[in-house]
Amino acid sequence: QLDRLVGLTMLIAATTIFLYYTIWTLFMPFVDQPHFSHAFFPPRVWAIRIPVILIILFSTVIGSFLSVVMIRSNRRKALKAKK
Amino acid sequence: MTRAQQTISIALLLSSLYLTCFLGFVPFSPKIQDEIIPVLPFWGLISFGSYLLFKLGYGVFTFNDVPEAHKELMAEIELARVDLKAKGVDVGND
Repeated sequence: QLDRLVGLTMLIAATTIFLYYTIWTLFMPFVDQPHFSHAFFPPRVWAIRIPVILIILFSTVIGSFLSVVMIRSNRRKALKAKK
Repeated sequence: MTRAQQTISIALLLSSLYLTCFLGFVPFSPKIQDEIIPVLPFWGLISFGSYLLFKLGYGVFTFNDVPEAHKELMAEIELARVDLKAKGVDVGND
């Protein structure tokens, strides 16, 4: 039953992220400043900064994982060639 | 035409279209040009990511356990392991 919960969480998270980001980037520029809905969103520079930070973080994690695996496998290969 | 060629050509098409809009070769109202167009790639990326997450979550949500298939799969893995090890392939350690 736990995996159903995980699946549901992913579904809700995906929908929320999509809706929030779409409204933030595509709708808010057309809403005049004094409107109350601007209080729900941080300043729009962050709409670009957050994805960039996530991309850099993600590629760092993937890059380090890849390099660790490759170094480990090369070490193993060198060990075997030495035998 | 391979799938890679297809994907690359579609990607090139979309990037060139976006670049013409971004560099100002297509007249838009200044509000759209300054606020919406720079954000479009990031919006596309986030929407794509959330679409993938949605698909994943939906699959996990609607997947029912299949214990007999699991047992069968484990037995097949054991068989394959024994067989390959006899032939000299490095099957790692579990």
